[in-house]
Parts: sequence; C-alpha cells; structure tokens
Amino acid sequence: MTDDRTTIAMLSEQLADAVATAGAALVAVHARPRLPSTGVHWKDGVVVTTEGTIRREDNIEVTLPDGRRIPATLAGRDRGTDLAVLRIAPGSLPVATLGDPAALRPGHLVLALARLDEGGPRAAFGAVSATGGKWRCWKGGEIDQWLQSDLDIYPGFGGGPLVDAAGRIHGVNSGGLSRALATTIPVATVSRVTTQLLERGYVARGWIGAAMQPVQLDPTSRQRLKHEGGLLLLSVEPDAPASRAGLLIGDVIVAIDGQSVEGFDQLLDVLGAGDVVGKQLRLEVVRAGQPVSVEVVIGERPRRAR
Amino acid sequence: MTTMSAAFLSDQAERLRASVVGIASGGRGRPAGGAAIAWTGDLFVTSAHVVTGSHATIVTPDGRAVPGDVVRRDAERDIAVVHAPGAGVPPVATANPATLRAGSLVFAVGHPFGVRDAVSVGVLQAVSPLPRGYGLNGKGSFVWIQADVRLAPGNSGGPLADAQGRVIGVAAMVVSGVALAVPVPDVERLLAGLT
Repeated sequence: MTDDRTTIAMLSEQLADAVATAGAALVAVHARPRLPSTGVHWKDGVVVTTEGTIRREDNIEVTLPDGRRIPATLAGRDRGTDLAVLRIAPGSLPVATLGDPAALRPGHLVLALARLDEGGPRAAFGAVSATGGKWRCWKGGEIDQWLQSDLDIYPGFGGGPLVDAAGRIHGVNSGGLSRALATTIPVATVSRVTTQLLERGYVARGWIGAAMQPVQLDPTSRQRLKHEGGLLLLSVEPDAPASRAGLLIGDVIVAIDGQSVEGFDQLLDVLGAGDVVGKQLRLEVVRAGQPVSVEVVIGERPRRAR
Repeated sequence: MTTMSAAFLSDQAERLRASVVGIASGGRGRPAGGAAIAWTGDLFVTSAHVVTGSHATIVTPDGRAVPGDVVRRDAERDIAVVHAPGAGVPPVATANPATLRAGSLVFAVGHPFGVRDAVSVGVLQAVSPLPRGYGLNGKGSFVWIQADVRLAPGNSGGPLADAQGRVIGVAAMVVSGVALAVPVPDVERLLAGLT
C-alpha cells in the first residue's frame, strides 16, 4: 500500500516536471480581445500558435515565462491547417523539445498546456484517444497524422502543445479542427507549415481552376476505356491552368499520371502535396466518348480575401 | 519509475471518502444537497451556498443524520463552518495548495447529481486569481485553486485533494469549464478561534 502511494506521488511529481519543462517554451499570445491564446517557441525567435486565435495582425505581443511582455510580428498564417507563425526577438526563452507523435499510442498519458498570463503554465490531463495516418481537415489543410486525445481544451489552451509524460512536445492543439475530442496538429505538419510561412507568409497550394463532380462511366465506355469513372468538369475558370490546357466543360478526368481517378481524393492528394506549383500533370480525359490526353501545369490556388 | 500501480488513487480516495459527509440546509430528514468535509472535532467545512440558513443537517458515511449549526460563514468567499456535535467522523489531513505545481494530480470527492462520494481525477492548473477573460462577477481577483477535474452540482463543499489524499481546497464552482476550489489557507482563516 505504501509502495502504491509512493508511486502515485512520483507520477504526480513527474507530471508537474513535464509541465515545468514544456512550459518553459510557452508564451501567452495577445492577438485578440480579452483572453490570450498560447504559443509554442518552436525554434529560436519563432512562435507557433493557432490561426483562429489571431484576430489582429498588428500590435501583437507575447508574455514570456518570466512575465515580460515583448512585441511579436506575424510572419504568416495558414487557415488550411489552423496555424500561424510569429517572430520574436531571438534568445527570449528556451526552445521547445519536440517528440515523435508516431510513438504515441491510444492510452498514453498526455497533457495539454497553456500560458495565459504572467502566472505559470497551466495543464489539462488525459489520454491519447486515437492515432492514424494522413488526413485532410475541414479547413482544407493536409495534416500528416491523426492525433486525438481525451483532453479538455479550455479557453486560452488553443495553440498550446500536446505534451507527453516526459515533457516532450508532440504538436499544437487546435480548438477549431474538431469538436468531440482535442485535435493535435502533429510536429511534422507544424514544422512543414512553419517553414513555408517563414519563407513566404502563406502556404502555396496546387490548383487547376475547375469545378468537378465524381461520376461513373456508362457500361460501354467502361468496357472500352478500362476505367470505372472519373471527375466530370462542371465549370472551368478563365485564365486558369485547366482552361489554358484546353480542358472543357463535360470532360471526364479518368486518370492522373497513369493512376485511375474515382473521386476527389487522388486529385486533392496531388494538389495538396508540398512544392507542386509549376509541376506538369498528364490527365487522361474522356471527351465526347473518346480518350484524350491533356497536359496541365499546376498553378497556385488564388488567396481569397478572408 | 516503478511499474504504475493498478490501485492508482483508490487508497487515498477510500480514506478521504470516510471524511466526506452529505449536507443540507435546515433540520433533519432532508436529502443531501451538497458535500461537507470533516475538518476537526465536530466541525465541518462546506460551501456557503450549500447551507443558506443557520441550521444544517449532515449525513455521515454510515448514514446517520446529525443536526448542526452554521457557526461561521463567508458568503463572498463561499465557505461556511458547521458544528455538528457527536457526528464522530474522522477528520481529514490538509495541505497548502501553494506547495503544488501545475500538472500535479488532484482528485475531488462529492455527490455530483446526487451520486454519493463520487471520485473524479485530474490535474492542477493554477493557484492564483483567475486569468483576465474568465468572467466571475468580480470574484476573479480572489486566489482560486483552478483544476482540470470534473465537478458537477453536488460537488459543492466537497474536498479537492492532492495525490497523497491531503485536502487542498473546498470545491466551489465551475467557470469556463475550469473547476474552482477555495484554498485551505482561506478555510483556516475562517476557522480561526474555533479550533
């Protein structure tokens, strides 16, 4: 019995150590009225938070662990992955110790951390609920791993890290990506998006400028063309990659670079991958019942006003 | 670290549950509305909003209803002290929450939605005034134990304890989803002169 109690007391101390370790790399981000959000000092001079908590682009400040409030500038924001990156003076606080989210399994003990004010870091505790591979969130961004936890994301915890019992940071928690469980944007996604935001202020995504709908081919075409279905073009924007390539309304895209297309997933995977702008795609298209080959140069998705 | 014990907090919870009573305003025969903590001797600590009158009835863990008087009350701080002679409930051990760090394990015992002596487990968030932006009608400037632990109506007046089962505060309410408890030093201040 005494051993059990000692073990629990040790676990409690270990959790508090993890909070202290990871909390040393956290700031409070003042970029909205009333309650600040949390930011992670991802690399020296670079703070990551969630895009949804940035309500103003100027006069942003962060509160450091020692209570000092210093100015920050917005380097960029990406609505698709709900991430925003701020620049602060280098050497202001320790840099986050990152973990490998692939090592997390359902049932692992985890903490969500926050810094809201000049007080210490705050913590919520729970367990990893579900893990998995790549997914696309409803905001459109590609997230490298599925990572959900049974944790309460309290007001101000958005932008804060998911931390394991050793204090390693496995990603950034977003209050905006799903409702039922806490969703974490994993380290790989945060690092990839951060690099792009620091380079050009936004994330460039592939685009061909056409609206489509998945369709099945009629039985004769199916047999003749050896394709089950594809994507039917419903509209083609003027002066866009699709129109420049000569794609027409009514065309059915049945293959991309030799791979059969049945729905949106294959196309979105191609367009959503990194560094695709300028790349050429070979599309197999059914036009008026006849197979046609079309070359499209992937463009950059126009950035719409928020 | 040694292997995590399957017992987790069960020993500490069992010990603490023996010191938690049900409590309701007024005379005998009423169902338990909130919880109270056997502090010392025949003195019980609870939330002021649980005992609104000058009398209260406590229900001991073995089911006895014992009448008592509300001998101290701080409505603003939302704590009260009830004297129930002859209750004979073992008192709790206490600790100052200021010694705990964020992330430390905590647990609550209470009667959420009438479930007797239910245990809920979480971690400490902070012992401080509330962050600006967590509204609480001006009471946010009090020092509150803020914890990531599930509380519900019926937890009011019950204990929040550390991993060793020592009471660190009196469960009061939930604000912005965060469990709030009144820290032990404020309880000791209210008890001054009684013990």
